[in-house]
Amino acid sequence: MRQSNIGWLFLTPATLILFVVGFIPFIYILYVGFFDWNTNAVDPTLRWAGLQNYRNLVFDTTFLNSLARTLVFAFFVVVSELLLGYVLARALMADRLWGRQFFRTIHTLPIVVAPIAVGATWRLLCVPGFGIVPYYLKLWFGIDYNISTNAYHAFGTAIIMDLWHWTPFVTLSLMAGLTALPKEPLEQAQIDGGNKLQIFWYVIVPMLKPVLLTTVFIRLMDALRSVDEIWMLTKGGPAEATRFIGLHIWINVFPKTDYGYGAAMSLLTLYVTIVLSWLLFVAMTGRKGGAQ
Amino acid sequence: MAGIQPQKPERDGFLPIRTNGFDRGFISAVILILVHLLWMRFLEGVLPLWVATVLCLALSVFIIRKG
Repeated sequence: MRQSNIGWLFLTPATLILFVVGFIPFIYILYVGFFDWNTNAVDPTLRWAGLQNYRNLVFDTTFLNSLARTLVFAFFVVVSELLLGYVLARALMADRLWGRQFFRTIHTLPIVVAPIAVGATWRLLCVPGFGIVPYYLKLWFGIDYNISTNAYHAFGTAIIMDLWHWTPFVTLSLMAGLTALPKEPLEQAQIDGGNKLQIFWYVIVPMLKPVLLTTVFIRLMDALRSVDEIWMLTKGGPAEATRFIGLHIWINVFPKTDYGYGAAMSLLTLYVTIVLSWLLFVAMTGRKGGAQ
Repeated sequence: MAGIQPQKPERDGFLPIRTNGFDRGFISAVILILVHLLWMRFLEGVLPLWVATVLCLALSVFIIRKG
């Protein structure tokens, strides 16, 4: 009993902070979501709207398209970063790789750059008529690359930018996980005659599951709330080709000051994020029922 | 070891995964929100929203007890 009290005592500061910065804002957003509140409206006070914000949401094609676009973006970046991160982690762990330490340092640098600076840099690289990417793509391959007018180019560039920024994080996580793996099961699998693919799928992946799960969660949640990088790169354009959900909410809450509707959108996005994360958790931990 | 809490019991119900009480409450809440959103989008013109609420609450009780 005494140990339990001491445990709670140690947890109190963290719990208090979480309560103040996490729980109270959540309750406030939940509250605001039931009101029509726009500080630029004729009546700038909170007016009770009930479920009207949510009712509007399910008919708002711009919001639903943004949500779908964000899910596609998140799928592409998370899967690509995981694959690329694993390959890089294995490469950086190989003893034969010359200049391994140097490349490891260089490769990790994008993580420390602020997202807004990443967006600005990529904008400078890709801006039509000025950036080196469109210039050389035209010169070498004859590709008319233009993120300001071509939706596919803008969307693809947003994905590549995210890969550049966050693959090193995945690499580092997987490297930490791979380094911590016990050697015995791998040696045993080799002695038993398993090929590389079998060892990877039946030995490494199951043992790496906690690290994979954590990494995927972090990246998925980050990808679902990308704002600043995209804002700097394309401002959500051309048209709405890169208006991801975070950016859409930002546009509604800040320039349009539609707080009630913004709160409802935020909550629905949170709902989607939690459900996706939970489904992923269930799928990856294999919590099967019945026959197990 | 006195400070370590025992894990919440998991069980096999009609749901396709092993669940504890929290899981079943969570699944009920997720379904409740989803059904209300879909109802507002497709059915509210025909049937009022409280029908969805009643159905979801009944389903929640069933999931929590038998899931």
